[in-house]
Amino acid sequence: MPDLTAADFVIIGSGIIGSTVARKLAQAGASVLILEAGPRVTRAEIVARFRNSPRRSDWMSPYPPAPWAPHPIYQPQSNNYLVQAGPYPYEAEYVRQVGGTTWHWAAQAWRNVPNDFRIKSLYNVGADWPFGYDDLEPYYQEAEELMGVSGAPNTGSPRKKPFPMEPVAEPFAMRRIRERLASAYEVVTNTTARNSRTYDGRPACCGNNSCQPICPIDAQYHGGLAAYAAEAAGAKLIPDANVYRLDHDEQGRISAGLYYDPDKISHRVTGKTFIVAANGIESPRLLLLSASDKFPRGLANSSDMVGRNLMDHPSTSLTFDADEDLWLGRGPQSPSSIGLMRDGSFRAEHAPYRLDFTNISRVDSATSALIDQGVYGDEFARRLRYSAARELNVKNVLEILPDPNHRITLSDQKDAMGIPKPQTHYSIDDYTRRGHERSQQDFRRIAALLGGSNLRFSKEGSYANNQHICGTLSMGNDPKSSVCDQWARAHDHENLYLASTGVLPTCGTCNSTENGLAVAIRTVRHILSENKVGDAPAVPRAG
Amino acid sequence: MSFNLGAKRLLFWTVMLAAGVSSIVIASAAENPDPSLIEKGRYLATAGDCVACHTAPGGKPMAGGLAVATPIGPIISTNITPSKTDGIGNYSLEDFSAAVRHGIRRDGQGLYPAMPYTSYTKITEDDVAALYAYFMHGVPAVDYKPAQTELPFPSNIRFAMRVWNWLFLDARPYTNDPSQSAEWNRGAYLTLGLAHCGACHTPRNILMAEKTSQLLAGADLGAWFAPNITSDRNSGVGAWKIEDLINYMRDGRARGIAQAAGPMAEAVDNSLQHVKEADLRAIATFLKSVPARHDSTDPKPPFEWGAAGGDLSTIRGAPIPADRDQWTGPQLYNAYCATCHQAQGQGSFDGGLPPLFHNTTLGRAHTANLVMVILDGVRRSPDVSMPGFSDELTDRQVATLANYLMQQFGNPAGSVTVEEVKTSRAGGPSGMWMIWMAKMAVGIALLLLISIIFVLLRPPTALDTRSA
Repeated sequence: MPDLTAADFVIIGSGIIGSTVARKLAQAGASVLILEAGPRVTRAEIVARFRNSPRRSDWMSPYPPAPWAPHPIYQPQSNNYLVQAGPYPYEAEYVRQVGGTTWHWAAQAWRNVPNDFRIKSLYNVGADWPFGYDDLEPYYQEAEELMGVSGAPNTGSPRKKPFPMEPVAEPFAMRRIRERLASAYEVVTNTTARNSRTYDGRPACCGNNSCQPICPIDAQYHGGLAAYAAEAAGAKLIPDANVYRLDHDEQGRISAGLYYDPDKISHRVTGKTFIVAANGIESPRLLLLSASDKFPRGLANSSDMVGRNLMDHPSTSLTFDADEDLWLGRGPQSPSSIGLMRDGSFRAEHAPYRLDFTNISRVDSATSALIDQGVYGDEFARRLRYSAARELNVKNVLEILPDPNHRITLSDQKDAMGIPKPQTHYSIDDYTRRGHERSQQDFRRIAALLGGSNLRFSKEGSYANNQHICGTLSMGNDPKSSVCDQWARAHDHENLYLASTGVLPTCGTCNSTENGLAVAIRTVRHILSENKVGDAPAVPRAG
Repeated sequence: MSFNLGAKRLLFWTVMLAAGVSSIVIASAAENPDPSLIEKGRYLATAGDCVACHTAPGGKPMAGGLAVATPIGPIISTNITPSKTDGIGNYSLEDFSAAVRHGIRRDGQGLYPAMPYTSYTKITEDDVAALYAYFMHGVPAVDYKPAQTELPFPSNIRFAMRVWNWLFLDARPYTNDPSQSAEWNRGAYLTLGLAHCGACHTPRNILMAEKTSQLLAGADLGAWFAPNITSDRNSGVGAWKIEDLINYMRDGRARGIAQAAGPMAEAVDNSLQHVKEADLRAIATFLKSVPARHDSTDPKPPFEWGAAGGDLSTIRGAPIPADRDQWTGPQLYNAYCATCHQAQGQGSFDGGLPPLFHNTTLGRAHTANLVMVILDGVRRSPDVSMPGFSDELTDRQVATLANYLMQQFGNPAGSVTVEEVKTSRAGGPSGMWMIWMAKMAVGIALLLLISIIFVLLRPPTALDTRSA
C-alpha cells in the first residue's frame, strides 16, 4: 500500500499530543501518517483487566507492555526497562499503546500561571519560555474545547473565554474540606478534562472513581479519543510500528523513518515533514538513537541538550484521620486543590507547589494496611469502616528546575528488539527540597483545621513521582542552549518538529498535558501558516 | 384487495364537496393571522413532529433535505418553510390543506406516504388553519432546494399515488365519538392524527399502507421495532398506568418499565416532551382503550421479567481471551455494561441509569431493540447518553452479550443470532426489504394498470382531488 509509506507529515507517537497534531493537519488537507510503537487496545480490555487485577492499586496492571515496544513496569517487580543511573530514582510510568499515557490519568488539564513563563526574569531561577502566557492563551482555549475542560475561575490563570462546561459536582468530602479550610485556604475545583454533561458524544462522569487506571465510560478525555479523531479526519495510523531511527539527507533534512514491526521486520517511510511526538523519554531516545556521521551526537542535538533538563513533579504527602466521616471515593479521584503557593517572590528561594487533595477511595489501601498488621474479624470490619470514612491525604506538587545533569541517555542495555533502553540520571535538588520543607507547615495546618489525628507524613527524603515528563526537548531562542525554537522546530533540522511535553522549558506546578497540547496546537498553527495551508487545503499530497 | 368502487366514489365526492366548501370558509383566516393562531400552529406542528423529517442533520429547521429510508428507497423531505422559490411560500391554505391532509402537492403530484398524510387527514379544519398560519408566519423562510426524491421504477410514477390514495386514504377529519369522554376523543384525535403514532407502530401491508385492522399492534422500523402499544396487558401497554405512559412520553422513561431509544427517543425529544400534560394524558387514555392485540409469545408484561443477579464471580482470576469473539457474556457485561448498570444489573439508585431487569427492552422475545441499543446507544435530550458499541463489538460479541442479558435479566425466550446482529448493523432486514421492494414493484405496476383503465373509463377530473 504505497499511501502508507509516504506522507506530507509523518508523526511518531499517537498519544494525545501527536494524535491532535495529526488530526489538525489532516483536517487542513495534508496527508498524515502516524506511527505508533504499541498496539491498539480498547477501553473494554483495559476495564476488564483492571477489574480482574488482584493489585487494584497498581495502576499499571491493566497496561501490560507489548514485548516489541515495552514501557516501564515497577510492580510486582521492575522490568528494568527505564534504566536507573541515579543518584535518585526516576521511576516514570507511561503507556506505549495507541492513544498513549492519557488513557491513564486523572484528566487534570491545567494552564500555567502567567509568571511560570518568566521565572528566570522574575526570580532568577530556571529558564524563561520563548513566549508568554498571553501568546498561549488562545491555544489553551482550543485545547480545552477539544478535550471538554471545566474548572474554577479563580485558579490564577486568566481566561478570555469561558470553559466549555460547568465543573463536575463537588464531592461531599471536598465540600467539607473547602468549608473547614476556608479561614486559611481557598480550596478550588481542579481544572479537568472531565465531562459534567454529555459533551462531544461522551457521557458525564458518574463517579466510578477509577479515573486512574481507566475511566470506564470515557467521561474524561484521553489520547485514544484523540487517535480516533485523527483517523476520522483522514490520518493513517499504523500501530505496532516501533520507530528506531530517523534518517536524514545531505542537507540535514529528515528523509525517512525506520520502524520494526513485532516480528522485527524493518519498514521505511518517507515524508516531507517529521514530527516526533513520542513523549519526553522516548522522543529524546529516538533522536539519540538516530546519530549519524553527520550528526554524531544524535539528531537535533548540536546543543547537547537532547534528553537533558529532565523535569517532573515530585510529591510528598500527609495522610491523617479527620474528625468527621468524609468517605473519600465518591466522584472523580482528584477534584480539588489549593493554589496559594503556585507563585510568589519565594520562588527565588524555594520551589512553588500546588496542594492536591486525593479523593481516591481508601478501601483498598486501608484493607492492605490492616491485613499487613494482622488485623482480622470484627476489628477488621470496624477499623476498615473507620479508615474508609475518615482517612484523608494531601500532597504537594513541587516544581523542579531545569538542570542539564537530569537527563535521559541511551543505556548499554538493550530491549527485546535489540534497541538501547532509555536511562535516567536524576536527583532532587535543594530548591525542590526547600519547597517540600515549606509545605510541611501547610500540611500541619490543614490537618489541624480538619481536626486531624494519626498524622502520617510520607517518608523524609522520599518523593513520589507524577509522570509529568518535561524539559528533554527544551524550547528556546538560543540554539546553543535549547533543542527547538518557539515553534518546536528543531534548531538543527528544517523539517523536524517536536510535539511533546518534553519541549516545555520549565514544569511549573501543574500537570503537563494541557501545556504540551496547547504548545503543540500553536506549532500546528505555525506549520499551516508556513505551508500556506490556512483555511483551504493547499499542502500537496505526497505522490 | 376488495373494495367497493361505488362507495369509494360516493365518499370521494362527499369529501371533496366538504373540503371545497370549508376551504372557502377558512381561506380568509390566514390573511392576517392573529399571534395566538400562530402559537397554536407552532404547538400543533411540534405535536406533529414536522421538524423531525423536514430538517436535515445540521440544516435549517423545516428546510427539508433529510433522506428518509424506506423499503422502496430514500425519500427526501421537502422544504416547508415559506420560501417562495424553494418552499411553500406560494401555497394557499387550500394548497396546504391538500398537501398535509390528502398528500397532494400544489403541482398536483401525489406525495409518498412517508409523509404521514394518512394520519394528518384526521386534522380538523381549525387546526390546519393554525398550522398554515404558523408555517407562513412563524417559520423563517429558507431559500434552499433539497435534492429531489428519485425512486426506482415503478415507484417513481407519482401518478400511482393517486390510486394508492383511492385505495387507502380515508380522507376524513376526525369526528368525535359521542359515547366516549372528551379526553378520550382528544387522545384519539392526537394519536391517530397529528402525533401519527401509527406511522411507526401500526404494521403495513405490501403497499405500505397501515393495516387498520392491526392498529398500533407493533411493526418493524428499519433495524428497530416499534412495539405493540395496544391495550393488551402482556403484549401492549395494558399493564402500564396512565402516569407511566405520561412519564414515558414526557421524560423518555417510565421508571421500572421502559426507556425511549432510537426513533422513539427522537419523537420524545422533538415532539412529545413539549406536548401539554393534558394532551399526553389524553393520548395515554386513548392508548389504554385501543383494541388489544395479543401475541402468544408474551406470557406476562415485558417489564415483569428478570431479577438482580449475575455471573461476574465466575470470571475473576480467569484470563481474558485474546480472541475477542471468545469473551463470555459475563466478561462482556463486566467490561461494557457493569460500570453504569452495576454488578447485578440494578442500575443507579435513582433509576437514571436504568436497571436491566424489569425493563421492557429485555422483556420481549423480540430482541431487535436490545441489539440496536447495544450497537447505537441511547441519546435523549437534555443529557441522556448511553454510548453505542458498534465500533468496538463484533457481531459475535453483540450476540453473546445480548443472549447473556436476555438469560440473566430478561425474557429467556428471546435470543439473538450473529446473523441478526449483522442485519441490524446494516440498518435492518435488508433481505426482507428486497422482497418488499419486489412486492411493491408488482403492486405499483398493478396500480398503474388499474389507473390506466380507470382513466380510460372515467373523466380525468375524477382523479384530481383538488379540482373541486
